[in-house]
Amino acid sequence: MNYAIVIKVLGKIFSVQAVFMIPSLVVATAYREAKDVYAFAATMMILLAVSFITTFIKEKEKKVHVKEAMAIGTLAGIFVSFFGSLPYMFTGTIPSFTDAYFESMSGFTTTGATVLDNVEEFSKGILFWRAFTGWIGGMGILVFSLALLPALGIGGMRIFKAEVTGPVTDKIVPRIKDTAKTLYVTYVVITAAAFLLFKIGGMSFYDACIHAFGTVGTGGYSAKQIGLQAYDSTFLHLTALVFMVLSGTNYALFYALYKRKWADIRGSGELKLYFGLILGASLLIAADLFINGTPFGQSLKDAFFQVGSVTTTVGYAITDYDLWPSFSKIILLMLMFIGGCAGSTAGGLKIIRLFAMLKLVKREIRKTFHPKSVISVKIGERALSDDTLFGVAGFVFLYFLTVVFGTMIITTQGVDLVTAASAVLASVSNIGIGFGAVGPNSSFAFFNDFNTWVLSVLMLLGRLELFTVIAAVAPKRWGYE
Amino acid sequence: MKVAIIGGGKLGYKLAESLSGRSIDCLVVDNDEDVIEKLNEHLDVLTYKANGLEVESLKNIDIASFDFVVVCTGSDEINAIICTLAKSLGCKATIARIRNPEYRKQLDSFKKHLGMDYIVNPDLATANEIVRFISKRYNFYSGDYAEGEVQLIDFPILMVKDFIGKRIMDLEHLEGLLIAAIMRKGNTIIPDGNTLLEEDDVLYIIGKSESIDRFVGYYKLNVTDKIVKNVMILGGGNLSYYLAVKLSALNMSVKIIEQDELRCKYLAEKLDKNVMIINGDGTDITLLEDEDMASTDAFISATNLDEQNLLMAVLAKQEGVSKIIAKFSRPGYDRLVDRLGIDFAINPVNITAGHILKIIRGGKIVSVSVLLGGHAEVTEVAVDEHMPIIGKKLADLGLPKGIIIGAVVRNKEVLVPNGQTVIYPGNKIIVFCLTSELNKLDLFLKPDRGGKLFELRNRNKGSR
Repeated sequence: MNYAIVIKVLGKIFSVQAVFMIPSLVVATAYREAKDVYAFAATMMILLAVSFITTFIKEKEKKVHVKEAMAIGTLAGIFVSFFGSLPYMFTGTIPSFTDAYFESMSGFTTTGATVLDNVEEFSKGILFWRAFTGWIGGMGILVFSLALLPALGIGGMRIFKAEVTGPVTDKIVPRIKDTAKTLYVTYVVITAAAFLLFKIGGMSFYDACIHAFGTVGTGGYSAKQIGLQAYDSTFLHLTALVFMVLSGTNYALFYALYKRKWADIRGSGELKLYFGLILGASLLIAADLFINGTPFGQSLKDAFFQVGSVTTTVGYAITDYDLWPSFSKIILLMLMFIGGCAGSTAGGLKIIRLFAMLKLVKREIRKTFHPKSVISVKIGERALSDDTLFGVAGFVFLYFLTVVFGTMIITTQGVDLVTAASAVLASVSNIGIGFGAVGPNSSFAFFNDFNTWVLSVLMLLGRLELFTVIAAVAPKRWGYE
Repeated sequence: MKVAIIGGGKLGYKLAESLSGRSIDCLVVDNDEDVIEKLNEHLDVLTYKANGLEVESLKNIDIASFDFVVVCTGSDEINAIICTLAKSLGCKATIARIRNPEYRKQLDSFKKHLGMDYIVNPDLATANEIVRFISKRYNFYSGDYAEGEVQLIDFPILMVKDFIGKRIMDLEHLEGLLIAAIMRKGNTIIPDGNTLLEEDDVLYIIGKSESIDRFVGYYKLNVTDKIVKNVMILGGGNLSYYLAVKLSALNMSVKIIEQDELRCKYLAEKLDKNVMIINGDGTDITLLEDEDMASTDAFISATNLDEQNLLMAVLAKQEGVSKIIAKFSRPGYDRLVDRLGIDFAINPVNITAGHILKIIRGGKIVSVSVLLGGHAEVTEVAVDEHMPIIGKKLADLGLPKGIIIGAVVRNKEVLVPNGQTVIYPGNKIIVFCLTSELNKLDLFLKPDRGGKLFELRNRNKGSR
């Protein structure tokens, strides 16, 4: 592997991360939080210094091959989270490195799980940084770096693939650099729209920022302990719901919308299934809640909000769904597996993989009756090759394995099954809330250090969609080199 | 500028590679999943899996928004239909690859009625290059620029053993010449005075034709005074057809060896009587001996098999034929043909790509040739008053290392420039540029939109 180019690209990503700290620095300055200002300034210095040192490394070859791209993706996740955790430690917000790292990883992977209780006690600057990490993680720091840095050419595409979600990654404009730019512009516009509506709905400037980051980035951080429950406003909840659902869709479709390519949007089978899934799950839950005595209007609102929040892996809650009937809870649990659309900021298995698997099952059933039939598995207009299908099948299986093994590891530390399983799922799918002790109104603070590390790793695995990390750390004798 | 390439085969790939290195947006359409995958894996271009014959697909990619649509699928007829469709849907210009010699005479009516703005014929272009080489005295490749005033030659360093192990600044008799590049084990190096020459190197030297002649004469590079009279061509494809037509017109006697009997009959019908068509296996050494290969002046292997072409060329060299030419088309072989001792290995894909690039870049570009297995290009540019390179000393331009101005033609006079040379409007320049630096080259040749800021921006971009 070409280590020099990996380190060089990482160095550039660190300087991008330093730039990303500027807004938090400004907020901390505005609120006159001296400790935060120093913490951010110090972290930025460290980032820039490390970045500067990497510029002295001379690379023999500029090409980024698949292996290097995987390594860049994984190492960026690890180191960006490390540097992101420094402000938490410097300010003393989270003194333990394990917890600070968890919090930072949770942000950059858009999980939004937290070890902080009584959030309101902490400084504005730190909470802003926490929410902002969730926003950066949404579209990804690698994608942003690609938009900013001199062209890496095709190596850029490989890095892009390592970070952007979904089984098939397409560019939307010819150059990878321009694709990254277009995606980020779309992302910023949607975030700004969310911010405006939150502001109009009555949030303070600061809270509107935090919740816009949390919603659009699908991180789900808030500056309030009880999150959006603090606002008794249907308008705000609806705004959050709409932007959560939007953020769970493929960002390429926003570009199609902008270009008025209606056929692309209408032809997206994934989008239809996504909306269908949200609608169907919400109506089932609403019916279940209504039968069990919740007023009609509230059943609908709670059901839609919670389904939207979990499917798009944001992880906001406006009600304690842990008290819901089992049928509703199992639907939510299922949605936690599935997650949003490919090419979105959401986590999870992704709708398109579920879709492909459903079609594959359908094909296999038909094949039992007509063994010689040739059936093409199509998503929308696009036929999926067997290679892609097997890749998807492998991914889905690995996803389940990860969740099962993760749960086994967590339970060794004496955690009950519901909590362990949902905490693992909430980490791998980057949701950040689960059931039991990690329910909507509790934090991940009670996990011991060992479990906290396990969950941090699971979050990274989930964000980079398993294969990237596994390929990057796989030993040579597995033959991945 | 936006360019759509329909058909992602060897030519489509080469074009996409070259265009994506510039600031040109490039979309490749192909209906083969594997081709699309290969493009996605290796090039930074947009791909679209569709059949180019479908109006629906052409509309989907918004064909009307493209400045050029290059159609290079495997079939002439399909290319023609796609051009017609694309043109009728409103694209600005179409470029088609047409191979069949029988269409040769009706190209004008194609252009008129079928919506083809430009037509490129790879076999014809290749044939032209080969004929040019054969009628020359040098036994190694050379390219002509500025109406023959400037030449670029490439030859293995083994021809001039004196150079091995020396630094470039210590070389003698290089006045008025520039070593533009060195190909070393498949890599291209832009040398400076301190570069040490090694045994396996292939040198690319550019300069005034007279200086080149003097250099070639002094070092007694492989030069024949013998005029080529007999040519033997292996394979009877379209390239051989064009070669036979052109060479026999120059009063050379041509012998074509072709395996397929029907094809032989066809060639015998179409070609002049003094072209001899031999039906037989071109790899059969007894047949070649019977046909007296050793006494031919030039041997061209132009079958459809790269390996056969290259091996037979080496064989012919061993038998003592003085000019050996081999056609090949796999891009990977570029890196080794120079070491096989073949005088002139020609890749039709590169030649055709050069022609198409010239059309696309248009305007002031006089010619483009793709060299060194696609690692570099030589461009001849007529400088006008809007280009940012004028009026400044070359040393102050901040040209990147991969861009070399090999010659400046001013009032019919050829200068080999140094740091103090200033380029003026009306000059012609011959620029040698690595493929990786092409986008920067375009910055220097783009019309100056005026304003110091723009110039500054250009310069920063250029030197980064």
